[in-house]
Amino acid sequence: MRAMPPTVHRTAATLFLVALVSACATLPEDAFRLSESAMELRQIQTRVYADVSDVEILAASSGVLQDLGYAIDELEKELGVLSASKRADATSEAEIVGNIALDVADCILTFLLGCENHSYQGSKDVQDIKITFVVLPESRDNNAYSVRLTMQRFVWAKNGELYNQETISDADVYQAFFDKLSKSVFLEKEGV
Amino acid sequence: MRLLATGVLSATLILAGCAAPTGVITSSGSQVETRQMQTREYDTLDKRNTLRSVVSTLQDLGFVIDKADYDLATITATKVQNYEIRMTVTVRERDGKRLAVRANARFNSQTIDDPNAYQDFFISLDKAMFLTLHEVD
Repeated sequence: MRAMPPTVHRTAATLFLVALVSACATLPEDAFRLSESAMELRQIQTRVYADVSDVEILAASSGVLQDLGYAIDELEKELGVLSASKRADATSEAEIVGNIALDVADCILTFLLGCENHSYQGSKDVQDIKITFVVLPESRDNNAYSVRLTMQRFVWAKNGELYNQETISDADVYQAFFDKLSKSVFLEKEGV
Repeated sequence: MRLLATGVLSATLILAGCAAPTGVITSSGSQVETRQMQTREYDTLDKRNTLRSVVSTLQDLGFVIDKADYDLATITATKVQNYEIRMTVTVRERDGKRLAVRANARFNSQTIDDPNAYQDFFISLDKAMFLTLHEVD
């Protein structure tokens, strides 16, 4: 047997280690520690509403969720918790066109071997979005409630594999929700 | 004869393979140790604010609330990043004087049995519990 050059050994060892580490994922040390950005994220996720009751805020919140096509999964008035979810399309038109173009190029390059349609099959298909509203009385004002929203999304590829899971931290997304909630509080009060 | 032996061996292997995975379903660690690691007591009887502190802490740590029940004082939540943690927190009264908060969590498909992880969770909860514990009448 001919000896392999050391670089091949090193590459093989590195690949083996990477495979081993990814197979045995361990709990990150900071999983239950408050991060430096936790307070900043809390501000992005929280708004205070005055001159409303907790029931009015919860009704307005479920109204917004219904407006946006969510289903309510959990509601506990005593703790001000409202959780909802929906499944939505995760693929933009541009992405579909781009991936099909890639597939065509792939077919042209590998026409002797046949097309495998990797790009389109691997592209994102649907996403599950989970949202929690938590309504708590403001300690300094009896007639005011703070509303804190947290959101997660799970993106599934066309082949059924989990493509991505993340906590949404984009301030614009939260702002858009709160804009709709403010409008919903008004609409609920007006009986619309 | 050899055929019979092969048959018996195969049947044994199949049956062994079908045996209920007791270890996975019921686990085999010490119940007392598990409870001690997962529980912290607070000098308050304010169940409502304790549960609210739990919910706030979970939100601060990036969890979304899946289930919440005030009467049974139980909260279940999930955190996702490039991993998934699912956690249940319960609040029970102890000796009519204190509240015991118990948390148990799974990381992906494994039970979290590292005491430091629970310690970190309770340190985070302590901060949220501060107001409940030092409420001024």
